[in-house]
Amino acid sequence: MIIEIAWKNVWRNKTRSMIVITAVTIGVFAGVFSIAAMNSSIVQRIDAAVNEELSHIQINNKDFRSSSDIQNVIADFPSLIAVMEATPGVINTTGRIVIKGIASTASKSTGVEITGIDVEKEKKMFTLSKKLIPGTGSFFGSETKFNTVFIGEKLAKDLNIIRYTLTQEAFSKLETEGIPSAVILKLGSLGDQKYPTDKKFSNAVENLLTSSEKNKFSLKIKEAAWSYREGSKIILSFLDMNNNQTGAAFRVSGIYRTNNDMFESLSVFVPVNELRELTGMKEGTYHRVIARLDNNDLTDVVTRGLRESLPGLEVLSWKEIQPDLAMLADMMQQIYGIFMAIILAALAFGIVNTMLMAVLERTREIGMLAAIGMNRRKIFSMIMLESIFLSIVGGIMGMLVSGIVIAATAKNGINLVKYSEGMEAFGYTAHLFPTIDVQFFITTTILIVLTGILSSIYPARKALKLNPVDAIRGE
Amino acid sequence: MAVVEINNVYKSYHDTEVEVKAINGVTLSFDKGDFSVVVGPSGSGKTTLLNLIGGLDQPTGGEILVAGHRLSELRPSELIDFRMEHVGFVFQSYNLIPVLTAAENIGFIMNLQKWPKEKRKVRTDELLSSVGLTDRHNSRPSQLSGGQQQRIAVARALATHPEFILADEPTANLDSKSAESLLDIMEKLNREEQMTFIFSTHDVRVMKRARRVITLEDGKVILDETRS
Repeated sequence: MIIEIAWKNVWRNKTRSMIVITAVTIGVFAGVFSIAAMNSSIVQRIDAAVNEELSHIQINNKDFRSSSDIQNVIADFPSLIAVMEATPGVINTTGRIVIKGIASTASKSTGVEITGIDVEKEKKMFTLSKKLIPGTGSFFGSETKFNTVFIGEKLAKDLNIIRYTLTQEAFSKLETEGIPSAVILKLGSLGDQKYPTDKKFSNAVENLLTSSEKNKFSLKIKEAAWSYREGSKIILSFLDMNNNQTGAAFRVSGIYRTNNDMFESLSVFVPVNELRELTGMKEGTYHRVIARLDNNDLTDVVTRGLRESLPGLEVLSWKEIQPDLAMLADMMQQIYGIFMAIILAALAFGIVNTMLMAVLERTREIGMLAAIGMNRRKIFSMIMLESIFLSIVGGIMGMLVSGIVIAATAKNGINLVKYSEGMEAFGYTAHLFPTIDVQFFITTTILIVLTGILSSIYPARKALKLNPVDAIRGE
Repeated sequence: MAVVEINNVYKSYHDTEVEVKAINGVTLSFDKGDFSVVVGPSGSGKTTLLNLIGGLDQPTGGEILVAGHRLSELRPSELIDFRMEHVGFVFQSYNLIPVLTAAENIGFIMNLQKWPKEKRKVRTDELLSSVGLTDRHNSRPSQLSGGQQQRIAVARALATHPEFILADEPTANLDSKSAESLLDIMEKLNREEQMTFIFSTHDVRVMKRARRVITLEDGKVILDETRS
């Protein structure tokens, strides 16, 4: 009966209740969706770090990271692999040769980290091969008599391997992508001109377009004009096992694109045998072994286990290699907490205010209920249930709206193209796919109900303090 | 047999620094089946006396016994149970629960007393019939006239067979026709079910029908007149 009366009381003043419920819905939606969007950025970054850059666990010779000396190889590679393969949670391992070097073309040179990889194994273990930009070759797919290298787009730009030309094909592409014909007409004067750098091409385009056209279309224009000089070669120079300067020309096998400019500009990949031959490293020697785990949640446990089993080696999880990323992930959890606390506090004040108004409006009625024999516990429960119903209805609606919007945006993502340059410089994607786990939904729902309960206490106590005699008199 | 016994009861309030004696040494008793009114000018202590009898307020002196319960000995939670089990209240402004139907309002105290659903339904139908509102079973208070609401309030007060009904100015907000009709119902219940009614009123129509008229002035009983 108390439940029924409380529910009916909620709908007594429909407008007021709907305002509170709408406010709760909007608050919960704003909180949950913002967190889902922020979360997606972190999840995608971690995903990229684990799947493209670092893997879950890396094992190095103890001195390798501090000195980067080519001599600091892992002593007993087969035994290490045997230990790792026997470790529960480890699903795949591979060895890498890692050396510092310089990449140069005729016009530019820059420092890089050259990683010698087992192409077939890495293809299975990582998604980097899938990051190949279409039309730029393959992930070491074609047979060639030259050494081959897989490089990032940023490095390709830095080394002037990429150029920009608005060919007839590029104009057709712009047309199919819906660029207005007025804009295409303006770009006509740039037809077939070759621009060796991003900056020069951008300046040329921006001189022809208005600022709004530039904001709307410059990225698409750049994409259409982007072309790779097929068969380009770069020179990689490094030290060999005898500390002698060596190097060779490498044909670019393909160019990859990630959301991490730093990684793209620094990391180049070469088949391990080609690097072994050039450096003089013995067969079966590696600087680093990387391991993929069944599940990212196992990272800490497996890292601890391997560290105990392999005391002579440096065992590092991705969290230790990129502590900033791990710290950010942890910090984001706290930020989510603070964010939700602010929203729930606003929700609580809204409910307290509404319920106080409801109690004050119903002074006489509550007094009458006490007079005819409704005990304090029941009066308290009735007011509490009204608050809980308000928060539950608003909370569920908020969660529902959040769920629907997250599901809708998770499919195509939210493209923050305006901020892509800045975000990608730090390794974050500007194309967000909001995501949130079920646990978060459950916790938030529980917190909303708890907020409803807590915010009902003050108005319910106020109701209990009413003296039936005064209340009935309407004082 | 006395249902209510009031022995030398006092009730004082402190209005700033002045002590106001709302009830000043009242001794009265009400028997089963009484149809009594307490009259007097405003501020004479009528409502205070009814509140003391109903256990809504505590006297500052003297004692009140209702159905064998010494009210001053009951704790606040026991007083709530006492009111639920022994007293029926009818208020001047009806005080029905607006979100419940007429039938649900009547069944409210039965519900508090955890009566079985079937028994509740039978009693509710019986009371709706007694107050002549069978056809308004599902009406909300806002859909009823003042007179109809007060009849539902009487039915609610009677629902669990209390020892007596306290009716504080029950006709004050009603037109003459509704007031007469309500008093007819109350008189009938008093006559047929031996239900004890104690009214406080200014209304001459109520006074005319009462078999006992107690007049209060400055918190004292100045006249206690029983009619045949």
